[in-house]
Amino acid sequence: MKKSHIATLIVFLAVIPATLVLGSRLPGRAYYVTSTLVIVELLIPFFLAFEGRRPQARELVLLAVMCALAVAGRVAIPVPGFKAIFAVIMIAGIAFGPESGFLVGAVSALASNFFYSQGPYTPWQMMAYGAGGMLAGFLFAKNLLPRKPVVMGLFGFLAVAFFVGPLLDTCSVFLVLSKISLKGAMAFYVSGFAVNVNQAIATAAVLLLLGKPLLEKLDRVKTKYGILAVEEGSGHP
Amino acid sequence: MTSDAFSNRHPAVNFLFFLGAIGFAVLIQHPAYLIAGALGAAAYYLLLSGRKGWKRIGMLVPMFLLLTAVNPLFNTYGERVLFHVFGRPYTLEALLYGGAIAGVFVVMMLWFGCYNAVMTSDKFTSLFGNLIPALSLLLVMVLRMIPGFIRKAGQITLARRAIGLGAGEKNRDKIRHGMGVLSALTDWALEGSVVTGDSMRARGYGSGRRTSFQIYTMKRGDWCLLAVLMFLAAAVIAVSAMGATAAEFTPVLSIAPVSGIYALGFAAYCAYLLIPSVLHLKEELQWRRSRSKI
Amino acid sequence: MAQIEIQNLTFSYPSGRSALSDVNLTIHRGEYVVLWGKSGSGKTTLLRHLKTVLTPYGKRSGEILLDGVPLTELSQREQAGKIGFVMQNPDDQIVTDKVWHELAFGLESLGCDQKTMRARVAEMACYFGIQDWFHRDVANLSGGQKQLLNLASIMAMQPEVLILDEPTSQLDPIAASDFLNTLRKINTELGTTVIITEHRIEDIFPYADRAVMMDGGRVIADDAPRATAEHLWSSGSGMFSAMPTPVRVFYGAGGTGECPLTVREGRNWLSRAFPEPPKHTALPERGNAEPAECALSMKEVWFRYEKDSPDVLRGVTAEVPRGCLYAIVGGNGAGKSTMLKAVCGTCRPYRGKIRVFGRPVEKTPNLFQGCLAMLPQDPKSLFVGKTVLEDLREMTRDEELLAKTAALCQITPLLQSHPYDLSGGEQQRAALAKVLLTQPKLLLLDEPTKGIDCFFKETFAGILAKLKAEGITIVMVSHDVEFCARYADWVSMFFDGQILTTDTPRRFFGANSFYTTAANRMSRHVFQNAVTAEDVIALCRKNREDTP
Repeated sequence: MKKSHIATLIVFLAVIPATLVLGSRLPGRAYYVTSTLVIVELLIPFFLAFEGRRPQARELVLLAVMCALAVAGRVAIPVPGFKAIFAVIMIAGIAFGPESGFLVGAVSALASNFFYSQGPYTPWQMMAYGAGGMLAGFLFAKNLLPRKPVVMGLFGFLAVAFFVGPLLDTCSVFLVLSKISLKGAMAFYVSGFAVNVNQAIATAAVLLLLGKPLLEKLDRVKTKYGILAVEEGSGHP
Repeated sequence: MTSDAFSNRHPAVNFLFFLGAIGFAVLIQHPAYLIAGALGAAAYYLLLSGRKGWKRIGMLVPMFLLLTAVNPLFNTYGERVLFHVFGRPYTLEALLYGGAIAGVFVVMMLWFGCYNAVMTSDKFTSLFGNLIPALSLLLVMVLRMIPGFIRKAGQITLARRAIGLGAGEKNRDKIRHGMGVLSALTDWALEGSVVTGDSMRARGYGSGRRTSFQIYTMKRGDWCLLAVLMFLAAAVIAVSAMGATAAEFTPVLSIAPVSGIYALGFAAYCAYLLIPSVLHLKEELQWRRSRSKI
Repeated sequence: MAQIEIQNLTFSYPSGRSALSDVNLTIHRGEYVVLWGKSGSGKTTLLRHLKTVLTPYGKRSGEILLDGVPLTELSQREQAGKIGFVMQNPDDQIVTDKVWHELAFGLESLGCDQKTMRARVAEMACYFGIQDWFHRDVANLSGGQKQLLNLASIMAMQPEVLILDEPTSQLDPIAASDFLNTLRKINTELGTTVIITEHRIEDIFPYADRAVMMDGGRVIADDAPRATAEHLWSSGSGMFSAMPTPVRVFYGAGGTGECPLTVREGRNWLSRAFPEPPKHTALPERGNAEPAECALSMKEVWFRYEKDSPDVLRGVTAEVPRGCLYAIVGGNGAGKSTMLKAVCGTCRPYRGKIRVFGRPVEKTPNLFQGCLAMLPQDPKSLFVGKTVLEDLREMTRDEELLAKTAALCQITPLLQSHPYDLSGGEQQRAALAKVLLTQPKLLLLDEPTKGIDCFFKETFAGILAKLKAEGITIVMVSHDVEFCARYADWVSMFFDGQILTTDTPRRFFGANSFYTTAANRMSRHVFQNAVTAEDVIALCRKNREDTP
């Protein structure tokens, strides 16, 4: 068994349960600390797997390009509130598979915050953005869904409106509510919904219009240089 | 970026300090500790950012009030009912608890403000360069590419505008043209990535074990400072385990007194928080003195 | 003993295209070898074979030995350390975000310990004069600094052989000659073997030990520079036009004795050729047509980027007559590109008037349709599509116009290629075609000759001449004084945010003594207004015909 696999098992079977138990014992209000610790612990296996893979130069560069594109997309489309970041992360997931999708999402979030501001939400963003990329990777790179613009657009909308967005709202819930209750949490999800839908529309628009051309561009580079040809059997036909 | 007596210390010292300061801030809801945290964080934040700092602090005040006021709406525990909202009790205890949570939030935001000024990206990556080499190299590469991509996006926008492919004022137009820019940027970036990859391999990347160049070294002073920080943190944790930081708001208000050995713990906490500010002021004082001597 | 030995190297790409055929080459320790030829002659392919990790996929035979050992038997690590490789684009080669980190990158990859890395990085920073910007973000460096950093970070690994693939093609002339001087210093002071390909042959040729010339994947000449020049002239090769100006003048004017390679040698040779002041010292002015109406006029244009930043344009005044090629020369960062942006209306001047065909820019509706267009400095900024054709179709549905423009720009055979698979010169022409599809009457060019070799420059100049014949006015800003002297109708000097002087190339460069062409610098003590090699040759011939 690979070292990174062992580490993953340890994280899931020992570290996370331990954190949860300890968190519930902590005095006062430890939701935020506990949940954030769990989030960080969930990131660890992904990162260790990446380290264990000893990525080649070209793979590393391509992932870096996708992350930087995700962050710089804001400048390319200078419309306030229109974020291309989720769409670019999802395209990375579709092109390179779930693991890379996750990595691109997590690193984009972290890097983007270096240019804006790190905060208590950073680990949550890393997790949420990464999860978006990973989901796209699972569904498209493994050919569960066809890579058609409409399908990708619809996926992008649903994933952001009902998965990535709410995940980010959860951070706020843990951060500012003194007593976690279903009602209190719902208040956050409902009030965040409008923003999430807005971003979901942006994501859908980018995937609809740019999904296919961008994937073709990535495919061209991949075949031209024979990189990342197969990642865990996620190669496409 | 910001450079002061504290941020000039080894990144590990900086990082561990913030880990402690933010960790304590989140876990301890004891009012005395919260107030100390707010003052300590605000002091250092103002020292780092000068006048601009007041603006951010000013923005945090309404945030604090809002969060304080909103929390009792979702938390109806407590004995002293102030009034009813939608038929639900709005209690003093819940309000105070809300205040504590809002306080935690404000202190955290202030410390993050300091963190952003002190822990620059190169410190962060060099700190993790040994621990997670591939990932921190990836991050370094991303940070290197972003300014270049932003510049290129600007060039592409201008180039396209100068052949009549520019956007009008409508958002719809801007989005459509923005997509063209993003598409062109992707091509350019991918092509450049191939060269970057070649350049890495030409310089031996992937030829075997890699080391990580440490531009920062732990000096004696750094070790000393780290030892002091560790000692103070240990003291806080110790008294906290004894119950010094216990604070219950609902259903009944019960807050540990700050006296006897508990007072020592509180003093240690204050000392911990003030270290960056003290270092900063000490250096400033030294400069003034050496200048006045000339 | 030979350091590098290439024996019967033949290579073809998977597509079947043959790139190298039967190349034999021996390079000795400490030699400075310049490798040159047209683009597509196999220079880059050959260089890449000297570094296994960069070698392209394909069919190959023959062998390459480094110190008698086949390259393929060396470990990747040994190769990385022994052979340094600098590429063309200064930006893309940089991997990390800080100067200090970039310097250490190669050493990190080789697994050096902290102590060694510290010493080497410090050593390199001092040798290359990098101390002052050691802690900077690479994003804030100039192109010249970036390329110097690339060189330094490779030298930190202490290579025995340094290979450079057109390292200065993206740099401005001053940065380029700084870079080449540093390279010469490395070669003479450290004895590092240097193998370089380069467009700017004038700066290298005189100092190289050997000039190896390639054509169609073969080595067609391999000798000392002077002997190569002689060989090219006598064989009537088309490659001769890439030779430095003094060489072209010498052979073109039928000189005798030792061929001059530098401007100094050229001057001395002319002094010997004309011991007495010659009869004809000036050429007639090229017949400029009557001053036509103004295509572009700028009056007292002032501009700055931020409210409290310094002015970039400080009262620019210029009048560009219709139907001419108007060149604006001047140093880096003087504001030339900003001036073009102001004409395009993307920078709004806070004072002054810019008129295009008599109408104020800001009041012209559809300025970029059938009126004004600009070719950006980096042609890649315009490519979006999968093929050149797709890119052109972004501009027009008119197939006839498209075909005509493609033919004019000589890109018809390239229409189905991906824009990024083209060479620099071809990309330039494809981008020009895209720009021309807006059917502009006034065409702006920003550094159009950057990074393209002299053969592509000639083709490009031919296209510009055709455009002029169609009545299109062309304004270009450039560092390339040789190109401006040869092809422009008017030349302006841009300095300190203003246009200082404007004149015909002969009068303009004839009046300058530093900022002028090589031909003028080597002949100005004898002739008055010879600014190109052709001018000098013509005057030499004319004088000779008149002397019995």
